[in-house]
Amino acid sequence: MTRMRFLTGTGIVLLLIGGAMQAYHPKLESPPVTAEIQAPEEVRQILRQRCYSCHSNETKLPWYDNLAPAYWVVRGDVLEGREHLNFSTIGAKPEAVQRGMLFESVNTVQLGSMPLPRYLAVHRDAGVTPDELATLRHYLETPPAPAAAPAPATAAETQFQHWIASNGKPMGTRPDTQVQPEWNGVPFLPEYKNWKPISSTDRWDNHTMRQILGNDIALKAIADGKIDNWPDGTVFAKVAWLQQPDGKGGITTGAFQQVELMIKDSKKYASTEGWGWGRWRGDDLKPYGKDAAFQNECISCHEPVAHNDHVYTAPIGGAQ
Amino acid sequence: MKQLFAAISFVLLLSGCSPNPPKTVYPQLNREAEVHGGLSWNPRSGRVITSWINPGGTMTTLYGDDMAVNYARSHADGAYPAGAKLGAVTWKQQEDARWFGGRIPAQVASVEIVVAGGPYERYEGSPLAAVPGSDAERAQFLLQQRAAVMP
Ligand code: HEC
Ligand code: HEC
Repeated sequence: MTRMRFLTGTGIVLLLIGGAMQAYHPKLESPPVTAEIQAPEEVRQILRQRCYSCHSNETKLPWYDNLAPAYWVVRGDVLEGREHLNFSTIGAKPEAVQRGMLFESVNTVQLGSMPLPRYLAVHRDAGVTPDELATLRHYLETPPAPAAAPAPATAAETQFQHWIASNGKPMGTRPDTQVQPEWNGVPFLPEYKNWKPISSTDRWDNHTMRQILGNDIALKAIADGKIDNWPDGTVFAKVAWLQQPDGKGGITTGAFQQVELMIKDSKKYASTEGWGWGRWRGDDLKPYGKDAAFQNECISCHEPVAHNDHVYTAPIGGAQ
Repeated sequence: MKQLFAAISFVLLLSGCSPNPPKTVYPQLNREAEVHGGLSWNPRSGRVITSWINPGGTMTTLYGDDMAVNYARSHADGAYPAGAKLGAVTWKQQEDARWFGGRIPAQVASVEIVVAGGPYERYEGSPLAAVPGSDAERAQFLLQQRAAVMP
């Protein structure tokens, strides 16, 4: 009997608290759809159903998401989600950017980081089905109508001649000037080119080829099999070149595009997942971005591998 | 009443105990792509000269020892000083399980080693074993590959 009364009492208290919470209900604006993503209807349909609640200006929430405190969480997710990726406005960006975001989208789905796991825990049927995933992949596997024009061989040739003449020093810089650090203060490390090989990738999504290199500390961690939490002082470099078709069905290394660094320092870079991020583009090694916010791009895209210390590459050992 | 309870507990679950993202990516070495066998030199102990993708789904990285790399990064003619060592590792490709849009090394298809002014060797199989014979044309091809620009 007391038990019953206790339960009723608790129920009433909860109801009162729950009711009071509804008083705070900040608005969720729906700005106009200015340029929806350009993709076939079957692709858009999947995105509309699975992703638009957080990644578009056409947010539709089920009734229970409109109840606080769930509403507060979902509203936060929608605002943050739109800021990262908005399918209602991305159509204004170049085609390559839109495709790039679709590749990233497929990858977040495959790695289980999108839709947000905490959202899926409650909205059990909201996930992308295997059939839907196959549709998205199939679309991206089919190259866009006019195949990307191969990078002009002459540009690569000029770049190469300058480089060997400067004997491996950065070009476009006077001998007395240094390559600038990134906007977030991460320094350029010219010795990257002498590090040991860790892996390589053939990136058909954006027609580049890459070498992933590591410094001695990285190499030692690989040899010791300690790759779940890379030691402070580890540095990875990823060098990217444009793919240059050789006219015989093969692909050679074309013009240098960029070099990226990830420098591990769990204290100094604590606010950016323990890594210092930097990207230098072109043969004059211009720091990427307009301000330190560029690193949010790096961190977001490396987020699906957060359980792997934010590192994508599975290293190939034996390079000592 | 029951429904409201359900809604409230549900709402608490959502706000309070959000589960961590599923662990789909674990720290893992790419073991199948390692170079094993009795080679006269381990090319991957050197530095990268360049890389290319072959027709038919294999990818090659060309490495060199200090003498070879220093020469390749300052000359276009491939006339390496005698004794400079170059090694090409060719891998079968696999889809990168962590990035749809990328292909990464799978098993080693072959290793080739060429010494400027010296022999050409080719290794195949698992573990890698020397394939008898030489191939002057292929050796020349490897020596003629220009270094990838690394400013
Ligand atoms: C419940 C809201 C929610 C849903 C549903 C959702 N996302 Fe997200 N998404 C977010 C939030 C919040 C972020 C930013 C923070 C983060 O990465 O965790 C994000 C980030 C992303 C990013 C990273 C963008 C960047 O900045 O580089 C991609 C890609 C992405 N989502 C794709 C998708 C796809 C594809 C779907 C549908 C299958 C989807 N999301 C569904 C909330 C959501
Ligand atoms: C669109 C997704 C995406 C973005 C944005 C991104 N990365 Fe990566 N990064 C990858 C992938 C995928 C790999 C694995 C190698 C490959 O496929 O090229 C990688 C690998 C790397 C590596 C080699 C170590 C590792 O994690 O495998 C470095 C270093 C790196 N990225 C730095 C950066 C920096 C610095 C930025 C920001 C300026 C950045 N990345 C932005 C997807 C991304």
